[in-house]
Amino acid sequence: MLARVAADLYWMGRYIERTEHTARLLKYQLAGLVDSPADELALGWQVIYRALGQSSPMTPADVDEAEAFMMADAYTLAGSLVEDHTNPDSMVTCWAMARENATQLRPQLPLEVWTTLNRGFLWIRDCDFPEAWKEGPAALVSEGIDRLRLLAGVVEATMSRDNTWRFLQLGRFVERFQHQANLLCTWDQLGAPAGADPSLSWSDLLRVCVAFELYCRRHGMTAERDTVLEFLIRDPEVPRSLRFALQRIEQMLVGIDPLGSRHPIAPPRRVALRLTATLEATAEIVPSEERTEPARNRFTQHLFGQLAGDGRRLHDLLMAEYVDYAVSEGLPS
Amino acid sequence: MTAATSGTPTDPAMRSRGFQSDDGGAGSDGTVVAGTGAFADYALDPRFYDELFGGDGRPRDACGRLSEALDRFPAEELVKLQEGVYRRFLHEGITFTVLGADEVSEHIIPIDCVPRLIAAAEWDHIESGLKQRLMAINLFLRDIYNEGRSLRDGVVPPDLVLGCPQYRVEMRGVNVPHDVYVAVGGTDVVRTDAGFAVLEDNVRVPSGVSYMLACRAATKRSVPGLYREHGVREVEGYPRRLYSTLASLSSSTARPRVAILTPGRYNSAYYEHAFLAGEMGIDLVEGRDLVVHNATLYARMASGLRRIDVLYRRIDDDFVDPVTFRRDSVLGAPGLFYAYRAGNVVLANAPGTGVADDKAVYAYLPRIIRYFLNEEPILANVDTYLCREPEGLAFTLDNLRDLVVKEVGGSGGYGMLVGPHSTAREREEFATRLRDNPTNYISQPVLPLSRAGCFVDGALQPRHVDLRPFTLHGADGQNVVPGGLCRVALRKGSLVVNSSQGGGCKDLWVLRS
Repeated sequence: MLARVAADLYWMGRYIERTEHTARLLKYQLAGLVDSPADELALGWQVIYRALGQSSPMTPADVDEAEAFMMADAYTLAGSLVEDHTNPDSMVTCWAMARENATQLRPQLPLEVWTTLNRGFLWIRDCDFPEAWKEGPAALVSEGIDRLRLLAGVVEATMSRDNTWRFLQLGRFVERFQHQANLLCTWDQLGAPAGADPSLSWSDLLRVCVAFELYCRRHGMTAERDTVLEFLIRDPEVPRSLRFALQRIEQMLVGIDPLGSRHPIAPPRRVALRLTATLEATAEIVPSEERTEPARNRFTQHLFGQLAGDGRRLHDLLMAEYVDYAVSEGLPS
Repeated sequence: MTAATSGTPTDPAMRSRGFQSDDGGAGSDGTVVAGTGAFADYALDPRFYDELFGGDGRPRDACGRLSEALDRFPAEELVKLQEGVYRRFLHEGITFTVLGADEVSEHIIPIDCVPRLIAAAEWDHIESGLKQRLMAINLFLRDIYNEGRSLRDGVVPPDLVLGCPQYRVEMRGVNVPHDVYVAVGGTDVVRTDAGFAVLEDNVRVPSGVSYMLACRAATKRSVPGLYREHGVREVEGYPRRLYSTLASLSSSTARPRVAILTPGRYNSAYYEHAFLAGEMGIDLVEGRDLVVHNATLYARMASGLRRIDVLYRRIDDDFVDPVTFRRDSVLGAPGLFYAYRAGNVVLANAPGTGVADDKAVYAYLPRIIRYFLNEEPILANVDTYLCREPEGLAFTLDNLRDLVVKEVGGSGGYGMLVGPHSTAREREEFATRLRDNPTNYISQPVLPLSRAGCFVDGALQPRHVDLRPFTLHGADGQNVVPGGLCRVALRKGSLVVNSSQGGGCKDLWVLRS
């Protein structure tokens, strides 16, 4: 596979995952528009934007509780995340970027994958956001999510399990790892720190991560901070846990370079292995001796900082290993 | 269906519709509308060969079944078919890219869902003519880059060839594998009352084959019963044949590694490059993917560098290698031509083939065929006046109003003057250009291109068409795909079939018998 094609597949996977991440955050927030207090809504927007790595557009202190203002802000903020071409995380931007990558991949992708992606792009490109807002924005976002899941299903059903598929999955799960780590960090520090008012509930985080039902079956209906974090970081059966994403990343890396053609263990895989070791290093993700509030906060900040740094390093090493290597390194032996 | 007649119509209904000219007004020549139903607006014109109907208004032998079926087809059904084709092309991204000043836009080439038919015997004639032509072109190219016998013997004026901008002096003495300079040719063929003739040879990077295949897929889905009934020769094997042709040029004993070189995503033919790469299961590379090391061409793979044996390049000569040709090119690979000269990679088509599709050299093709093959040309040329010659220039200037004037290296319908459709001011400007640089121009009579039935504005109407069949020439022999890109001038009365100027395309059915 061409190095450029590998990069395009990887980025296509990242953009598809990013679109869905934005859409899920937005879906949760839009549902709250019906009955959540204004200060909670403001906090929700703040968490979403921070989790996406963007500066917060508003804080609870800025809130004007007049309903008209609250809805006007929601319209602007949601619009920015749906249809704003200048917002790098908006659904339309991510979809357009995924399609741009897919256009470079026409020879590699099954026609069904291209067509499903292209139809999704045409749908969001042509959607009339002001009109959709009047009719209920949640439906628009839900349809976007449905189209993304249809695409995931078509990918699953039509693509051979070769390196084309592996680089696509690699992009998805690297993106997922980075976004989930950022979301958990933001929620822990900003959305639901102990004793904060207003705060968002941990069960809402589970819903955003499409993991609420499984959590209830495993741990009951009480969503507590450390249990939720443990669940969303380390449970290997939760599709949006960090452990789940790491497992997939490792699987893909082993499949792409099973014999270690240039290195016994390729540098990206070394980082993935180290990340796994980090997650498995302790019996509990937040050790009991760290559970006094200041110690705990220091611990989680350090942990999330380490995860974020390793996630970025993983990306850089993937590019260096498979895309941007020096010619002298790539010559056949 | 009801046949049209020449002369006085006897059917009162036809009389009430009256005679219609090509412009939709009252006709002056006595030819009439071809029937009722879907053909109620189908006006025949004796000036133009009609692909569906004979001069007597009856369907041609090969077209009886098609015209009957079309006559029965409700217009609303045809509208649905046409919309279905459009939607499918939109969703599948079968588009061409147009680069504007500020933005890049994707367009869908308009497809007409009514096929054009060619009888088996007619196709045999075209096919043998195309093979003959490409054989002669390859021999001619070999000659002009080596011994130059044809130039010494006065077959073609040496200054015309050596002064042609497409003549690549770098190709002199290069050992071209199997002497195949042109592996893929696309020839523009037109039909008039006098029969088939070649309008242009395209032997650099001819495009359009993907639209031929897209049109075929569209008609097979839209009118499956009709397709089956007609016994149409298949075109779907083209990518397999293309691969086989390209692979045959390699000296590699193992399975040769073939790739397509594209200028990239924003090239107007990018869809075609991607489509062919996908169908052949080969890599679609860009210049940035290529590395030349020790006079060997490699592609940057995720797992390291991998050698390429055959490069089907879809970029112009100028851009192939910035070291040898245009220094500012970023589309090719530095050192690629060096690897080619060293015999370590095959380029298809070879650099320098553009001499053979220069519009002035075109005029000499009949002589080239006779000289190299000792045969009479099977397909005729269109009368061509060379403005580089004083008589040709004088004739062209005196008859600008009636001629088509073309730049010798032009393509895409640009840089030309269509005399009958030009204004006095445009003719004046062109006359100045002709006098300033006569070697850059040729002129030809305005051809009465044949017309085929098209579904336009909710009705079947005749529109002018041409045809671009594709000929493959490899070490394993020649192959002409039984079909081609049939281009249509969708604007009423227009003779310009280029998609960039209001043209569309339709499927061409070559019948088995």
